[in-house]
Amino acid sequence: MNKIAILMVFIIFSCALISTILTLRPFGEPKSTEMDDYIIKNAQNETGSNNAVTSVVFDYRGFDTLGEATVLFTAVAGVLLVLRRNAHE
Amino acid sequence: MSEPSKIVKTIASIIFPFTMVFGIYVILHGHLTPGGGFQGGAIVASGIVLLLVAFGSAEIAKRVKESHLSILESIGALSFISLALLGLSTTFFYNFLAGSNFIFGRIPPFGSNPGDMNTGGVLPLMNISVGLKVIAGLSAIVLVLSLFARSRKQRKR
Amino acid sequence: MPFQEIINIVLPLMIVASAVIVVALKDLLAAAIALAVMSLLLSLEFYMLHAPDVAIAEAGVGACLTTAILIFAIKATRRMEDGR
Repeated sequence: MNKIAILMVFIIFSCALISTILTLRPFGEPKSTEMDDYIIKNAQNETGSNNAVTSVVFDYRGFDTLGEATVLFTAVAGVLLVLRRNAHE
Repeated sequence: MSEPSKIVKTIASIIFPFTMVFGIYVILHGHLTPGGGFQGGAIVASGIVLLLVAFGSAEIAKRVKESHLSILESIGALSFISLALLGLSTTFFYNFLAGSNFIFGRIPPFGSNPGDMNTGGVLPLMNISVGLKVIAGLSAIVLVLSLFARSRKQRKR
Repeated sequence: MPFQEIINIVLPLMIVASAVIVVALKDLLAAAIALAVMSLLLSLEFYMLHAPDVAIAEAGVGACLTTAILIFAIKATRRMEDGR
C-alpha cells in the first residue's frame, strides 16, 4: 500500500517535470535582450570592473546581494542561538 | 569512530595553506576573474573545515572562539551596508569610487584587456567585506555543530 | 563526435547514477561521500555550461561544507542505517 502510494506520487511528479521539459525553449534562446546589451556595453565604463558578473552582483543588482547577506546572517544567528549553549556544557 | 590517522593529519596540514592562498586570491581578484566574495569565502571556510575534520574540534576550539567569529561576521555585514550607504548622495549602492583617481579608481579600456588590480571602484571593497562575512559565518556554523556533536557523544557514554 | 558533446552526454548520466547510489547505500558515511561526488560532478557540469562563478560556489559549499556537516551529524548519531 505504502509502496503503491510512493510509486503514484513519483509517476505524477515525473509527468509534471517531463511536460515542463517539452515546453522549454531551445538552449541559448532568447539570443539577445536589451538589458544584456546595455550591461555588456556599459559595465566596464560605469563600474570599472572587468568582470561583468561582479558588476551586476554588487552594483546593478546590489539589493539582491544585501538580501543574500541577510539570509546568511539569519542562518548563522539561528545556529548559534540553538547550539551554542549546549556546546559548552 | 576512531581518531583520524597520521596520514590524514599530515595531508591536511600540507593542503591548508594552499587552500587559504587560493581563497584569498579569489576574493581579492573578484572584479577581474570569475569568483567573488561568496565563492572565495566558501573556499577559505572549507580549508578551516578540513582542519576541523582532521584534527578534531577540541584542538581548534582552543584557538578560535565562535564569539570572535560572530564579531567578525558582524563587522563584514556592517562594512558592506555602510559602503552601500556611502553612495547615497546619488542612489543606494552607487559606485562612487569608479572614475575618481582615488583607490581602486581607474577605468579599464573597453573590450578584453589584461586587467589591473587598481580598478573597480567599491567592488573590491565590497568583495572583501562579503568575503570576511562568509568566512566567519560558515566557519562559526561548522565549529558550533562539531562542538555540539562532540558534547552529545560524550554525554551518551 | 567532438569531445565537448561526449562530456555533455556522459556527465548528466554520471550525476544521476551517483544520486541513485546515495539513496541506495545503507552506510551513511559512504552515502555522504557519494553526495560529495555528486556535487563535484555538478560543479563540473556548471563549468561546462560556462558558469564558472556557480561552479566555484557549488564546489566549495556542496562538496566540502555539506559533507563536513553530514560527517559531524553521523558522528553524533549512528553510522549504519537500520532496517526499521
